[in-house]
Amino acid sequence: MEFIAFAIAVAVAYQALKGYKLSKERTLLYLHFSFVLLGTGLLIDGISNIVALFSQFYRGLLFLYALGYTINFIAQLIAYGLLVFAYFQQTRNAPVQFTAATAVLSVLFFERNAFAELILIVLLVYIAFQTAMNYGVNKTTNSLLVFGAFVSLALAHFFFLMFMLFPIFFPLAHIAQLFGFLFLLAMLLRVNQPS
Amino acid sequence: MIPSEPGLGAKPAAKYRSQFRIYVDIMHVIQRENNEAKPTRILYGANLSHDRLIKYLEELKSLGVIQESGTDDKLYGLTQKGIEFMNNFRKVESFAEAFGFKI
Repeated sequence: MEFIAFAIAVAVAYQALKGYKLSKERTLLYLHFSFVLLGTGLLIDGISNIVALFSQFYRGLLFLYALGYTINFIAQLIAYGLLVFAYFQQTRNAPVQFTAATAVLSVLFFERNAFAELILIVLLVYIAFQTAMNYGVNKTTNSLLVFGAFVSLALAHFFFLMFMLFPIFFPLAHIAQLFGFLFLLAMLLRVNQPS
Repeated sequence: MIPSEPGLGAKPAAKYRSQFRIYVDIMHVIQRENNEAKPTRILYGANLSHDRLIKYLEELKSLGVIQESGTDDKLYGLTQKGIEFMNNFRKVESFAEAFGFKI
């Protein structure tokens, strides 16, 4: 699932870069770097999951799995922090302190724990709220798909949080994450369909 | 490639249009007029003064995205390069709008 999400993240990053090259709009550059980081994190997480399978035979590989998760986690924190910053820039009331605080927290809480997941959920809920407001104004299918994507990603991290208590939430979290990226893929396909 | 002004996204309130945005607005009016737009239609459609309109039309002509036709009554149309640019711009605009970003 991580590899599918990785491919979609790369596609979104590429589209954002194309947009930046055409318009030189900085928010598109933030969007590009955000999805580059998300994609990188997902790729590393996917590889570390494969490593985890082999760790059944060699326990020393578990360290690599933990390292992969940590890199993915930090990448996500910075990526969503960057998106939040982009929305602040867009709304012209940039309380930079919020993003700076997130960056500091991302360094302090990089281990898998409930508080760290909560930070991701807060960032994603904020982004989902912004995309919901955007849908409220635009009422386009594309903005609805982006809203759906970030709601799914926020749900995925809520499920990752719940997984610490109930193992059943682990597959649900991965499915929600995949759905989030599939919503983004649907938006990309709609945007690029021939006019 | 049509030049654009970097860093305008961070300016307070979108009161001023970037040069890039004005180019796009002019080309949009030309497309709306079935690729045969009179200067007055562009002037009103893109909300420009006469002097600035002439300046921007010359710049767009030198970039090869619009062409002039007619003798007494000048008409402006998009070139193939201009049409391709507008198609790409529309995709980028709808991508950015999906996230709630204005370009």
